[in-house]
Amino acid sequence: MDAGSIERIIALVGAIVVGTAALWSLKLEWPKTGLDDNVAKIMLGLLALGCCIVILVATRVLHGIA
Amino acid sequence: MAVVEVSHATSEHIHPPPETFVQKYVFSFDHKVIAVQYFITTGLFFVLAGLLAELMRAQLAGPNNHVLSVTMYNQAYSVHGSAMVWLVIIPVLTGAFGNLIMPLQIGARDVAFPWLNMFSFWLFPPAGILLFGSFLLGAPEAGWTEYPPISLQEPAGTSMWCAAIFLVGVSSTITGLNFLVTIIKMRAPGMTWTRMPLFVWATAVTAFLSFIATANLSAALLALFIERTFNVPYYDPSRGGSPVVWQHVFWFYSHPAVYIMVLPAFGIISEIIPTFARRPIFGYKAIAYSSTAIGLMSFMVWAHHMFTSGLAQWVQLPFMILTMAIAVPTGVKIFSWVATLWAGKIRLASPLLFVLGFLSTFTFGGITGIFLASVPADIHEHATYFVVAHLHYVLFGGSIFGIFAGLYYWWPKMTGRMLDERLAKLHFWTMFVSFNATFLPMHWIGLFGMPRRVATYDPVYGGTNLFISISAFVLGASMLIFAYNALRSAKHGELAGPNPWGARTLEWMIPSPPPYYNFDRIPIVLAAPYDYGQPLPYRDVAPEYLAAVPRF
Amino acid sequence: MASHAVTLNDAQYEEQRDHRLLGFLFFLISDCIIFSSFIFTYLYLRSAAPVWPPPGVTPADLYMAGVNSIVLFGSGATMHFAMESFKHDKHLRFYWWMMATILLGSMFLGGQAIEYTNLIHENTLWTTSIYGSSFFSLTGLHGFHVFIGVCFLVVVLNQTLSGTYTKTRYFGLTAASLYWHFVDVIWVALFSILYVWR
Repeated sequence: MDAGSIERIIALVGAIVVGTAALWSLKLEWPKTGLDDNVAKIMLGLLALGCCIVILVATRVLHGIA
Repeated sequence: MAVVEVSHATSEHIHPPPETFVQKYVFSFDHKVIAVQYFITTGLFFVLAGLLAELMRAQLAGPNNHVLSVTMYNQAYSVHGSAMVWLVIIPVLTGAFGNLIMPLQIGARDVAFPWLNMFSFWLFPPAGILLFGSFLLGAPEAGWTEYPPISLQEPAGTSMWCAAIFLVGVSSTITGLNFLVTIIKMRAPGMTWTRMPLFVWATAVTAFLSFIATANLSAALLALFIERTFNVPYYDPSRGGSPVVWQHVFWFYSHPAVYIMVLPAFGIISEIIPTFARRPIFGYKAIAYSSTAIGLMSFMVWAHHMFTSGLAQWVQLPFMILTMAIAVPTGVKIFSWVATLWAGKIRLASPLLFVLGFLSTFTFGGITGIFLASVPADIHEHATYFVVAHLHYVLFGGSIFGIFAGLYYWWPKMTGRMLDERLAKLHFWTMFVSFNATFLPMHWIGLFGMPRRVATYDPVYGGTNLFISISAFVLGASMLIFAYNALRSAKHGELAGPNPWGARTLEWMIPSPPPYYNFDRIPIVLAAPYDYGQPLPYRDVAPEYLAAVPRF
Repeated sequence: MASHAVTLNDAQYEEQRDHRLLGFLFFLISDCIIFSSFIFTYLYLRSAAPVWPPPGVTPADLYMAGVNSIVLFGSGATMHFAMESFKHDKHLRFYWWMMATILLGSMFLGGQAIEYTNLIHENTLWTTSIYGSSFFSLTGLHGFHVFIGVCFLVVVLNQTLSGTYTKTRYFGLTAASLYWHFVDVIWVALFSILYVWR
């Protein structure tokens, strides 16, 4: 296996783990109402979005410039 | 300071009173002292930048003059513009007036972050030293806008310019977020948003613009500095970069900055008019919300500065329409002020004189702004003296007249002494007449085609230019009247008492100058402050201050 | 300068914390604008360029950046867990989550160093093309923020260990966590436009 494939697998597994963790934390965070909690919700949501993008990259749905 | 009785847990001074000289007058946390520091430094920079303007007018007094070399002339107008915008008007309106008045008007003991307030002031003198010091290394020559690629080819002074404006930008960002937190969190109990004095409304919107837009300018300055120092291509068209990017980013800051420079002046006007017309302000909510509308719309009009930069036509059209539309909330204010004056019991004291000067000149500048917003007219007028005239009618006729109105109005509060009224009126009339004599003819020579930013011109413009130069010297000299009046008041000014004008906002409900903790007890606010004829809407204010306000 | 040797009561602390939280969020917004300004410059230059990347430029490797992104996103998750542990008074767990965050943050910086080295070997420098200038200024600005963030985390961890923060008074931690999350989500945008977008 070449380096690119190994990197893709690491990225995919990592993205699934981190994305799940982010979504789970978002669910736990949801009922809280403080200003910092609300900001944390936005941040976790964007984190999950970032993980989705990495998953799409790792599964070669999205290609970069090359 | 005696033991302070604190009536509420909120809005309390956390820091103890200063003890040493340095704590008290140099690195002071006290918003009132910081305001005075801003007044003094901006005053100094105002004199320097004004002298540069007089030098330019000396050069332009006749065609082919040799008072300044062409390079020196370019440096003079670049540093004059940069200094007036960033070292004078913005800091005096936000740093000085914002610091002096806003915490008092919301019934707070200080701003939210006194340390940051001190820090952001001390970023400001080094910025001035860097900017004026740039003459030693070859000052910037591309105007206050410093468009690349010219700004990339200039000597090291332009890098100093970048550093100076970056420091001012950081200072302005910090002041902006500090003030916005103060206004959101530290208003006296009962002071809802629609009970805030209108100057506080203006300061809130300005603070918002400051920390949003100024960060953008800092980024652009950083990029320009990197490109100049490390030869990294962003703006150089010969290496794939684009000078138009700089224009976009610069004006995305600098158009909101126009409103940073004029909204606090609007706030000052809104305070002075009801006091001297002895009437409730007409359309409180209209004035407050139009400030907000101006603040939001100011982010959507920046490309009207770039109609000659080769924008696509479909980009130009919406910017033209939005620019014309932003005149609507401004017009709402003008009509509200005029309606307040209408049938008021007007007392024509010096602050109101400057307000009337503001109303006429600013409206005039606003109307020429509509001309320039129209793409076909702008392409004709863009690089001519018409733009110079328009800009000075809004920034001098608007901001500077507003600043002097505010100075005459709040001088007694700041120093405890009155300025001489006769000298004030003399100052107003010389300034008003010479201002119009200086800048009004510029419209004509601009329309006849005299280009701006050049050290020499066709002799056909000679007579008008000589007239303009003489008027400009009179205008400069008129500032001496104010300087004399200010110095004179320190010794001979009569004591002001807490409320010489009979105004109703909270800053007049305490002694002049205000004590260190501002309010012995934080007052409770029951209504908006402008209902002349009604009892004062404050609880926990000492009766002698309430009694100082006449009913009409 | 006199230090603020004033003890705050609970109401005063709450008030001061509210002010600082709001002020810090405003600071983050203005920081976000700085990134937006550079992103705008990048987008403008890219859309004006006839071909992208400009001829002769080897762009940065997508999959390596993907792994690096996950390292950074992972540190965002561990930071959140660290804050939750602290709020629930589980100090040992807090300590390990913080260590994990600091480690992942440093790993991200290491990954970026490797990436920069590779690019420099390919002669893609920030002075050679508009790809280089916008790529290195955006990732460099972000890397600088990550570096500041790691320092910030080390400082607050040290302060926590020396007992500066209590269960009700921990604004420094909140600020560090917000800053770290901010640096994280900025990377989502940068990764998308610098690497993924074709």
